[in-house]
Amino acid sequence: MNSDSGRSTGMEQTLVAEAQDAPRSGDLAFERLYRSSRDDVYAYVASLLRDAPAAEEVTAAAFERAYRKRNRFDPQRGEPRAWLFGIARNAALDELRRRGRQAELTAEPADLHSGADQGAEHSERSLAVSAALERLEPRERELIALKFFAGLENREIARVLDLSESNAGTKLHRAMTKLREACDGNA
Amino acid sequence: METPRDDQLAADLRALRPTPRPEFTAELDERAAAGFPRRSFIGAPAFWTAMRNKGRAHPRRLLIPAGGVAVLAIAVVTAVTVSNESENHAPRLGRTLGPLHDGKSAAEAKPARPPAHYGAASTEAEASAAAGAGESAGGEVMSSDLPVQPGAQVHGPSRSAKPGVHNRAVERNAELVLGADPADVGDDAADVFEAVHAHDGIVLRSSTREGEAGVAGARFELLIPSGKLSDALAALSGIDEVRSRHEATNDITAPTVTTAELLKDSKARVDSLLDQLAGAETESEREAVEAELAQERRHRARLRTQLQHLERRADYSRVLVRIETGDSDQSPEEGGSWGIGDAIDDAGQILAVAAAVTVVALAILGPIALVALLAWLAHRAWVRRERRRVLS
Repeated sequence: MNSDSGRSTGMEQTLVAEAQDAPRSGDLAFERLYRSSRDDVYAYVASLLRDAPAAEEVTAAAFERAYRKRNRFDPQRGEPRAWLFGIARNAALDELRRRGRQAELTAEPADLHSGADQGAEHSERSLAVSAALERLEPRERELIALKFFAGLENREIARVLDLSESNAGTKLHRAMTKLREACDGNA
Repeated sequence: METPRDDQLAADLRALRPTPRPEFTAELDERAAAGFPRRSFIGAPAFWTAMRNKGRAHPRRLLIPAGGVAVLAIAVVTAVTVSNESENHAPRLGRTLGPLHDGKSAAEAKPARPPAHYGAASTEAEASAAAGAGESAGGEVMSSDLPVQPGAQVHGPSRSAKPGVHNRAVERNAELVLGADPADVGDDAADVFEAVHAHDGIVLRSSTREGEAGVAGARFELLIPSGKLSDALAALSGIDEVRSRHEATNDITAPTVTTAELLKDSKARVDSLLDQLAGAETESEREAVEAELAQERRHRARLRTQLQHLERRADYSRVLVRIETGDSDQSPEEGGSWGIGDAIDDAGQILAVAAAVTVVALAILGPIALVALLAWLAHRAWVRRERRRVLS
């Protein structure tokens, strides 16, 4: 699987590299981290909450928390993106907890994505994939969201979910296998 | 539809990626540029911003100022309390309390400052306090140091302490330093003799020296009946300017009682030996009893002397009176001007107060901090568990 894509629109890899020590380096570095991760964080949070307004609120709150905690970031404990997504995840889970809602990870909330101008075959396949996603467990859907919506690498996913990298890769592989099987079932 | 390949499936998933509204991203970019001010406070007046910030402050942020206020409050209360206590116990202001007063109430303790008519009342209280103390072989000792401002005249009321109050034997000692002009030393010495005789006291030793200020002076070692000690001290204090006054008591009940009991046993032993002597039938038996009797009588005589000495110590108080001339060469503790010694003493007291404040603060804040820490850990664990449950 290609894990390089899926980063925020307009982001350059060099900015990410410079953002490695962003929270410690100051506002400029944090701004780079923000610009490289803004859309990714939103996509991940939106996939967790399945509610665009709430996703906007939580995304903003996550960046706000990260900005205030930027001096506490320890580069030795992981990449800044993983650190940022850990904060976003906690904020999203707190929001879900507050609502008392069961987390529902969906790939296709009707108002969350744009992509309607695709071809007929592509749309059909997207619908099938979306339906297959619905059959996965929430944790599996979260893994896929972190991978393909947020564009995190396996080691970053492992850091966000507090897993080992190999364990994260294994779980992701299983989730993808189940997703493919679900697509087969839909087909 | 065919089963999607891995790259095709990945592409399909990415196509499903939620994207934010441009309006939202624009607004978020603005906030990022502004350093992420709290959204609900944007554009609010400073006062309301501060008030709302206060209301939303994180408990951990409140902990520091709250702890600071608590420590400050404790420090003030402790400082005031300790300051009052140290005022009562400060050597230069009052007196140094011996072990007999440790742990006693303020009512039992002696007054903080020498009253204008200080005299028998307080010293009698000392005797009572000493009499009420526990017994010990060497006796219990306490003392009072009473520096008096130069020029002050101390007169005592005519209350007399009874020796052996509550059947206890208390030895009392006093030292009085009077300041006088060189020309008045002779008259003052005569007044001392007069006061001693008026109170049935005994002058053990005396010496006077005439000369210039600082050279002239007198020294008296006196025995004053303990029952009249307070009156005698009051009279002696009235002779001239009192520069310092020190009194001490020593509970000698235990050795007195022990010696009396030994003497009683010795008497009984002598009577028994006399009976044996009367009943002795042989010369050798009589000689043996007589030798033992002689030894026991010597022992009894020693005990009697010892008891008499103890009783004299209780009946008569030893008083040292010094008449000094010239400037008062008092140590800071005796009421002189504030100096290095006072500074060291004050620094020690301040350190003691600081240590006391720290101990009290730790005693109060330690458990609170521990409870807060446990509560915080429990809350954090609960939050983590709830977050895990959300997705399960």
